Amino acid sequence: MKTTKTIFQDGNHKWVAIVRDPQKPNFIIDTNEYLVTHGGKGLVLDPGGVEIFPAVFSALSAEFDPSALTGVFASHQDPDICSSLALWLEFNPGMRCYISNLWVTFIPHFGGTAETFIPIPDEGLDISLEGLMLKAIPAHYLHSSGNFHLYDKVAKILFSGDVGAALLPASMDGLFVEDFDAHIRHAEGFHKRWMGSNEAKRRWCERVGQMDIDMLCPQHGAIYRGADVERFINWFDQLQVGIVSA
Amino acid sequence: MTTALTTMSAKKPQAGVDLLRIVRINEQIKRVVGVSFKINIMALNAIFLAKRAGTAARGFGVLSNELRVFSQDLRTCMESLTGLIHACVNEVSVVLQDNRLANLFDRAAELAPQHPALLAVLQRRSVEDEKHALHLTKLRRQLKRALEDAFQMVELGGVLAKSAKIEAAYGQSFAASLAQVSGEFDGVVEEIRGSLESLRRSPFFAGN
Ligand SMILES: [Fe+2]
Ligand SMILES: [Fe+2]
Repeated sequence: MKTTKTIFQDGNHKWVAIVRDPQKPNFIIDTNEYLVTHGGKGLVLDPGGVEIFPAVFSALSAEFDPSALTGVFASHQDPDICSSLALWLEFNPGMRCYISNLWVTFIPHFGGTAETFIPIPDEGLDISLEGLMLKAIPAHYLHSSGNFHLYDKVAKILFSGDVGAALLPASMDGLFVEDFDAHIRHAEGFHKRWMGSNEAKRRWCERVGQMDIDMLCPQHGAIYRGADVERFINWFDQLQVGIVSA
Repeated sequence: MTTALTTMSAKKPQAGVDLLRIVRINEQIKRVVGVSFKINIMALNAIFLAKRAGTAARGFGVLSNELRVFSQDLRTCMESLTGLIHACVNEVSVVLQDNRLANLFDRAAELAPQHPALLAVLQRRSVEDEKHALHLTKLRRQLKRALEDAFQMVELGGVLAKSAKIEAAYGQSFAASLAQVSGEFDGVVEEIRGSLESLRRSPFFAGN
């Protein structure tokens, strides 16, 4: 089973990271799922692949009543992001899936009906969770052509999907980045190869650099907090991406 | 094979229903665990109060020590309930995941009914299904037994709390505060008893 760690709490407004599954086979990329709760309702961010559904579901239900989930936020269309969608919907058919309008006709290949999907237009969307306003922030081409991050301005947390992801060795399994320089070595190759556009990256850094962020939470690897958030944005800004040696 | 396929399809909605039921039980157990934590603190308070009351509350003092032991036992019992319920949630979600895939294979078999490799897959899956069903039955039984144990324990706690209420009356100048502590204790034990009572009636245990 995965472990849950509460990374922010103010009354019933919570951010819970669902991380590190010791039983997960190594050939599956490790992912972080996040649960945001407010006013008794919850939203799962990038709920993960079909293979890890039991691990995520049981970890989440130890922390929160899964029948009170209103939906899923999918940063993009990858299988490690939301191929478990059909299973969540089988448990709770009322759940909605927020995803870029580019993907709303593709994702039903993973499951869902016409009512399931709430398309996010290119410019973003305000998503209300029992009165808590969450913002879908454009992050197109980072790496997917229709890509969003989710910002909670009250918690000052930005869920950043694959941006900030690091493929860490087993010895570095901490929840937070502790040594930025040591950590970022495991992020560099990933960002250079996966992120498609320097122009898009520039705009993202500019946009996100102006936001008030305490924690930047990627879908793989460790969470950046405090000064490491700005450190990461500056590092990413300098990095040349969209490069492949072949 | 047709029979096997029909049996598999008939089982399908059960996992979704089971998962919902087990989630309901999990939510209630989480509440009970929270309440039992309170009991520990209350028992400590009762011991403290009995010490202050001294000889005037000797009987109450003995009972408050018993209540403390009870609260510790209850906590251990809740820990094992939590472990079992997590195992059940996990097992039922594996079955749900399995059924989803089985559904897709069933549909494929309808379109290509005679394909031997597909039939072999279906056969293998039905063996796996059987294993999961057995494991779940075992967990369900263990959970039922653990709930019964918890219930028995709480009944005993109820008797202790009620005796403490009676003893409180002999506490002279401390009688009022002793009565309050034992009353609160009794209230919490009753609350847990009510929750466990309704948990035992969950349709999740109606299966085998
Ligand atoms: Fe991705
Ligand atoms: Fe990813």
